Amino acid sequence: MHFDAPRRVLAILVALVIVLVAVGALLSNVGTTRAFILMATTTSTRDTGLLSVLLPGFQEDTGIEVRYVAVGTGQALDAGRRGDVDVVMVHAPPLEDRFLAEGHGVCRNALMFNRFIIVGPVADPANVAAASSAVEAFQRIAQNQSRFESRADNSGTHVKELEIWNLAGLNVSSFGVWYERTSQGMGATLTIANERDAYTLSDDGTWFAREGALPFLRTLYVGSEPVVRNDYSIIPVNPAIHPTIQVEKAVAFARWLVGVRAQGVIASFAVNGHRIFTPNPGGNC
Amino acid sequence: MAGDIVEITLLSLFVSGTSTLVATAIAVPLGIALGLREVGSQRLLRNILFTLYGLPPVLAGLLVFLLLSRGGPLGFLGLLFTPLGMVIAQVVVVTPIVLGITMSVVATVEAKIKDTSVVLGADSGQLRATVMREAAAGILTAVMVGFGRAISEVGAVFIVGRHIEGQTQVLTTTIITDIEQAAYADAIAIGIILLLIAGLVYSLLYRLQERTLQ
Amino acid sequence: MTMSLDVDGLRKSFNGRSVLRGVDLRVKPGEIFAVIGPSGAGKTTLLRIVDLLLPAEAGAITYDGREAPIEAAPRLALRRRLSMVDQNPRLFRGTVFYNVSYGLCVRGFEGPELRLRSIQALETIGLLDRLNARTTDLSAGEAQRVAFARAVVFHPDLVLLDEFTANLDPANVTILENAVREFNRATGTTVILVTHDMFQAKRLGRRIALLFDGHIVEDAPVDQFFENPRDPRTRAFVRGEIAY
Repeated sequence: MHFDAPRRVLAILVALVIVLVAVGALLSNVGTTRAFILMATTTSTRDTGLLSVLLPGFQEDTGIEVRYVAVGTGQALDAGRRGDVDVVMVHAPPLEDRFLAEGHGVCRNALMFNRFIIVGPVADPANVAAASSAVEAFQRIAQNQSRFESRADNSGTHVKELEIWNLAGLNVSSFGVWYERTSQGMGATLTIANERDAYTLSDDGTWFAREGALPFLRTLYVGSEPVVRNDYSIIPVNPAIHPTIQVEKAVAFARWLVGVRAQGVIASFAVNGHRIFTPNPGGNC
Repeated sequence: MAGDIVEITLLSLFVSGTSTLVATAIAVPLGIALGLREVGSQRLLRNILFTLYGLPPVLAGLLVFLLLSRGGPLGFLGLLFTPLGMVIAQVVVVTPIVLGITMSVVATVEAKIKDTSVVLGADSGQLRATVMREAAAGILTAVMVGFGRAISEVGAVFIVGRHIEGQTQVLTTTIITDIEQAAYADAIAIGIILLLIAGLVYSLLYRLQERTLQ
Repeated sequence: MTMSLDVDGLRKSFNGRSVLRGVDLRVKPGEIFAVIGPSGAGKTTLLRIVDLLLPAEAGAITYDGREAPIEAAPRLALRRRLSMVDQNPRLFRGTVFYNVSYGLCVRGFEGPELRLRSIQALETIGLLDRLNARTTDLSAGEAQRVAFARAVVFHPDLVLLDEFTANLDPANVTILENAVREFNRATGTTVILVTHDMFQAKRLGRRIALLFDGHIVEDAPVDQFFENPRDPRTRAFVRGEIAY
């Protein structure tokens, strides 16, 4: 009687744990193939809101559910490399090229593009509004040493930003304290730019989604030259990486995305009244 | 990107509740056994434990992520981005806390109690049972602190679960994504729900603790 | 039911200070044997060594003629024939009944037999009406009585009492002394009583020993000890001339 309590408590505890872990295993699809395919994409893509109208369409047409993790571009591609996801949707062409060259992807389809724009403080001290190209805008900012927020996170946006600095003949490692690195996503970086009256490069999707909460910023450069294009691609992961990768469903998804229905949804998708995506189907999936 | 708030709340309770129970099942028997050992040999163990108290949940999350990723040693389990994976990550965070507090509480059970048990003829198992009974209130405190850590942490569950809709969304990760999307009012509302849930669980555990103190 | 105890040449020091310097004792089965002596003489140390709580440095102790076993199981079996009560008992969290029945439960008793024996033990110390009281509600005297009942309920063969009535009022002292006497008479248990109180030693003891300067300097039947001691130190101690 005196010494039963611990044994009884432990027995109840262990029984509870077994039940709960079993429930957890059920919830986690242990031992079975996932009923859905898992996609890795970026936080920017998630923030546009496009996925919540696009993915249900695929499920309607094929019965296949798509779930996704939204992470930084680097981690999205790494998830593909590790075989933790079945398909990757990113917007960083140089990094995608390397991914494919290393054999991690089966094929690539181009989907659409939106644009990178330059936003900045309402007063525009560097007079970016008068620039006739993105490169010139960046040169003005550097010359004026106006505060600039860089995502500095190897995302598609960051890679693009470095490309523009490069074209402007400038080296970011020589910049002074006016050049700040946030190491965060687009939404967070815009919030920081808003608080600190800084310029930044943003994709238009995130900007239009957040505009209302960014009263101290406005759009200063909106162009259409190739360097400000933000091209989206879908890449099914190579099943050789891991036997559980559902490559047929992933390729089906990649093909559906360049089909008529998907491209129609993309074309008509609007963020706060702005149609940000230009359909651009293509690729070899 | 917030899914059904009821689903999210239930998953939070499931993940943190399960991880606390698993950590308790591991840490309490171990803590009692270790707390009863001679003081000298405990010093190294104590130092390791205190360092693990400071183990940042994000680091625990990263380690479990690398473990459970398909490229990792336990990848065949397929537990990355799943609720069970999140449970594992939280077990790593919570176990040192429950273990350390249990050890402390057991060590401070008066030596006289242990002496008395021994004099009355208790063997080592009976001694452990007696000490556990004497330290029951303190052990429940250890469990409560452990649960508090689990329900309120975000680093481990975010890295291992990644806030997938309908699958791995919990209260704390929802707060983060709401903030990322500048939905501050939603984030505060979720925060209030979190506090209410924690308060409810604590009041239940307090009641249990009161019964052990009688 | 009972046990003889023989101590030969027992030595023990703490931090270089020698406390027991060759103690010899012979306790017969069923005897109430009192040990008196000045504070710091080593009386508590002696009891704790007999109760297997401290190791001796030299010398031998035999229980019914045999030394304490070294292997765990037989050693535990011996330990369960011994019991001790000191002056600051610590009761377990819970009720009086939980405490008193503890030693019975340790030894595998359960159910009605456990209950019956516990009730009997409480009756001998007059606390049957407090069976379900919480230990936090007891006075110091009641707590000591419960500790005593707890220590003897399972009928140990040897009971060690270390100043067990030291802080109590006369009424409780009487109750406990009567309980010891009754218990010894009913079960034949051997009792070793360490006490400050010479009068208690005289009331309860059949033999008395004086522990002084690390040795037993006198060991005699009670009447002889007080009326006709051999050692001058005994005479001086009995007359209060050696300080406590």
